[in-house]
Amino acid sequence: MDIVRDVLDTRVVDRNGREMGRVDGIVVDCQPNQPCRLAAIVIGPAALGDRLHPALGQFVRRLEKRFGLDQNRPAQIEFADVDEIETKIRLRLTISDTAVDAVEKRLRAWVGRLPGAR
Amino acid sequence: MNATIRLDRLLGREVHTANNRRFGRLEEFRAERRGDAWFIIEYVVGTAGLLERLGLGARLILGLERGGGYVVRWDQLDLSNPDRPRLTCSVDDLRRK
Amino acid sequence: MRKLFNLTLGVVTSIGGFVEVGSISTSAQAGAEFGFSLLWAVAAATLFLAALAEMAGRLAAVSKRSMAAAVRERFGIHFQIIPLSAELVIDTLLLTAELGGVAIAIKMLTGIGFQWWILPVGLVAWLVLWLGNFSVIEDGIGLLGMVTLSFVVAAWRLHPAAGQVAGGFVPTVPHHDITRYAFMTVSIIGATVSPYLLNFYSSGAIEEKWTEQDLWINRVTAWLGMGFGSTVAMGCLVTAAIVLGPQHVKVETYEQAAQMFVPVYGRWAVTLFALSLGIGCFGAAVEIALNAGYVLGQSLGWTWGIDKKRRDTSRFVAAFSLVLLLAVAIASIGFDPLRVTLISVALTVVIMPLVVLPFLVLMNDEQYVGRHTSGPIGNGLLATITILGALMAMVVIPLEILGG
Repeated sequence: MDIVRDVLDTRVVDRNGREMGRVDGIVVDCQPNQPCRLAAIVIGPAALGDRLHPALGQFVRRLEKRFGLDQNRPAQIEFADVDEIETKIRLRLTISDTAVDAVEKRLRAWVGRLPGAR
Repeated sequence: MNATIRLDRLLGREVHTANNRRFGRLEEFRAERRGDAWFIIEYVVGTAGLLERLGLGARLILGLERGGGYVVRWDQLDLSNPDRPRLTCSVDDLRRK
Repeated sequence: MRKLFNLTLGVVTSIGGFVEVGSISTSAQAGAEFGFSLLWAVAAATLFLAALAEMAGRLAAVSKRSMAAAVRERFGIHFQIIPLSAELVIDTLLLTAELGGVAIAIKMLTGIGFQWWILPVGLVAWLVLWLGNFSVIEDGIGLLGMVTLSFVVAAWRLHPAAGQVAGGFVPTVPHHDITRYAFMTVSIIGATVSPYLLNFYSSGAIEEKWTEQDLWINRVTAWLGMGFGSTVAMGCLVTAAIVLGPQHVKVETYEQAAQMFVPVYGRWAVTLFALSLGIGCFGAAVEIALNAGYVLGQSLGWTWGIDKKRRDTSRFVAAFSLVLLLAVAIASIGFDPLRVTLISVALTVVIMPLVVLPFLVLMNDEQYVGRHTSGPIGNGLLATITILGALMAMVVIPLEILGG
């Protein structure tokens, strides 16, 4: 499996097919005299920011903290919870097991209040 | 070395040879399943320059497998300093892409 | 039978939705200043647009990914951040210009200053997105946009000499003002081949759930739709050439451009021009705002889609709402819509190579388009567009300064 080609930046859905985001980062665990083990995938704008520039990642984290959206974010999902990797990545978890939709939920409070919201 | 590393941050990083000469950039990580877990067994290092870093260039337009580059086994790469990956062997010991 | 109906509707809506502030401005100016001699530029630009749109549609139908999604997955965020940011900036500017176009059109109809209309127009555009769904929006824009056929009818009624019109399709070097001519050529291409159109088209293919079975629909919609749509831009150019050219009018305002309808439509001239301008720009404004949502949602992995419940797509809703708000804010500061139009068009040309280059890779990658990879013609066309795009990108800023 090629990580950059097949895992990084790929869409992630939960057990029920709900959109969770994209693989914004990957964490590996490197022990001496062993190949590095894929530990987790990371989903969240802070992780994406990290990739572009460390300062950007920090900026996003500060923003999230400012709005109280920094709990368990960016979401780290253990590789063991990955069910299959195809054109999208399906997890064994459900979205509510993670904090990936914190921003969506917060905005939903506003969007839901607008007249005619469906 | 015992460390937790963000693999995506290694992407595009310069790899140096054992005697500290610039060698190329990390462009792909090949993983293999062993038991319950996936392990990075190979690193693909591209030697084609700036365009590689942006993921474009003749290499991609003509086909992924062409162009200069090497496949580095996990035991041939030293990641004790993730900001500066180094080969642990000589370039001659590497497999071509 | 149903597919044929949908196909016809798709082609019709492409015609109705073809012209907007950029194509009307550039066609009117091109016609007024250079007669028929820039018709080839409109044709070439349409050729590029249709080819790219067909590819965007093919990508979406086979890989089930829009352009933005495919670029993120194939090239990663490091590459994508550049065209993505550029596209968002340009789209916001273009959106401002489109809102300005609608406001000016309403001013022409009511006499009330165009500044007053920016906010109401923005609000109506937002309501269309808030309450509508994809078919209603697209079909509505397309059908109402049929009023822009006034340009085609006007050109027809003016009985241009067929030989002279045909001559306009052959690229020639003009006798005067070569830098201005070159600038107009590049502007026409930039006005026609807008990056937002390509991602929007591919997003539409996903909203409509196209599959490999629909590739023929994609081909017909892209080629016939854009092809017929371009006759509207050409009609505008020809009409401007015949009516405004001899008067040596350099079109600097939309009111001047509206004069092109006087010989054919008499006292309806301003009304018809205003309706064409207004509806064309309004449709484009809605699409550009919606596309901002598409592009961000698809790149970043949000739940997106105008056919989904608004509650389930809150970030997507926030994106298209904020971009509209931003455009309204910029427009309210006070600006010259024609100038902003020409600047956005020039910037479009600058990033064109970055937009087209990913196609070269994606259209040949079986992981994305399966067995429907581009043949030698498709690749040849892409390579040509990329090279021309790069050349144009290099000259557009100097040309804007010299000939703008």
